[in-house]
Amino acid sequence: MKYALYLGCAIPIKYPGFEAATRLVCERLNVELVDLPFSCCPPPTSMKLVHYDSWLALAARNLCLAEEQGLDLLTLCSGCVNTLKEANHILKNSDSKRRRVNKFLEGHNHRFKGTIEVTHILDVLYQDTVVEKLLHEKVRDIPLRVGCHYGCHYFRPPKVMYPGELSDAESHVPVKMDHLLSIIGVEPTEYSRKFLCCGSPLGANMDQDAGYSITRQKLEYIHERNIQALSVVCPSCFEQFDMGQIVLARKTKEKRRIPTFYLTQLVGLALGLSPKDVGLDVHRIKPKKLLSGIDVA
Amino acid sequence: MTIKIWKFFQREQLFECYQCARCTGSCPAMEVAPALGPRETILICLNQGHDRVVEDEKLWLCCTCNVCEDRCPQEIPICDLLVALRNSAARRGNIPIRLGMAIELLAKTGRSMIVHQLDEMRAHHGLAPLPPAPVDEVRDILKKTGLDEVIEI
Ligand code: SF4
Ligand code: SF4
Repeated sequence: MKYALYLGCAIPIKYPGFEAATRLVCERLNVELVDLPFSCCPPPTSMKLVHYDSWLALAARNLCLAEEQGLDLLTLCSGCVNTLKEANHILKNSDSKRRRVNKFLEGHNHRFKGTIEVTHILDVLYQDTVVEKLLHEKVRDIPLRVGCHYGCHYFRPPKVMYPGELSDAESHVPVKMDHLLSIIGVEPTEYSRKFLCCGSPLGANMDQDAGYSITRQKLEYIHERNIQALSVVCPSCFEQFDMGQIVLARKTKEKRRIPTFYLTQLVGLALGLSPKDVGLDVHRIKPKKLLSGIDVA
Repeated sequence: MTIKIWKFFQREQLFECYQCARCTGSCPAMEVAPALGPRETILICLNQGHDRVVEDEKLWLCCTCNVCEDRCPQEIPICDLLVALRNSAARRGNIPIRLGMAIELLAKTGRSMIVHQLDEMRAHHGLAPLPPAPVDEVRDILKKTGLDEVIEI
């Protein structure tokens, strides 16, 4: 199993610990990763809103790099997967857009052909062969009550992100993170507003306080269920919860703090990696006490 | 230069809207900020023309979470409309300052993020330095796509 690893911007630059954890976990689970000279995806929360053609062309360039190697593209972020999956979908289905974008790229010897798929680390780890390997390699359980937050762009709009997997329910909601974590002994715990926004894009583009108000509402529902930790698959959501709780506490004087994990950090711990190996030492809200409570050090 | 909003979103679809406000009722931005919300956005487009929306800063108070579209009983592709309206707004200079700065950074560096002492930080996690982004290629592509219609690059 081999993928072109699309790191994006926030993970390698702001949260390299997630990258370290992901590389170690993939190595242990026989997922081979190839690095290529990608650029920013660019985000569905910025470039797409400002200049659609630029958004589509840069996304196409990233897709072309993976196509040229004959590899599917593996993303680590809800924003990246949204842009790259949607752009792939659009360009595969529209002759006129493909022609237009290929004109922008032709000077650099790229040509979008539509030969690969875009996936996300959660979907890769959820595959049968990987899960079997995980069950085999797992050395310990992580018995914590964890609330999963998927990040809106990971699964919306469902007709683009998960075509054919739409349930009969009016809103399609993902379950893979909850299921995967239960394999490593986690107790996935439901909470109200689980599938709503973390607040990050509103804060980043317009109004930080308003963005954090959304986070605060989510956290209230999370506390209500006595959730001990959060699991995310997106660096922007991570920051919103990790940094967000520190910022919010300045005003609200809230004492309870819930550590946030990036998915591959939890999987890495179950595989026997140390908290430092998976980069937990730099989180703003330290999970140290929580982890020593379950004998993970 | 302006863009043709109705190329991104079929104008006739505005008439499909019930004004039921299920979208706006689900909107997280509406709950915490004086946003327009999808229902009102559509109503203004219908009654006063989309120019009114495009000129309004409140157009940007949105998480791009797509919940509105998910819940619309008429299956109106609301987010296509919102993307088109914002693209149009940006061309007329209605663009949030922070967002404009983020786009500039992307055009200059090929990435949307910058930190000091990156190599040290990566080494702390046992990672090699990050190879430089393909800045020249990115800038050249962005020149061709016409990003400077919106932001000087
Ligand atoms: S949910 Fe759909 S039909 Fe109802 S007000 Fe919003 S856009 Fe109109
Ligand atoms: S995409 Fe924007 S308008 Fe629609 S529900 Fe989310 S925040 Fe509200």
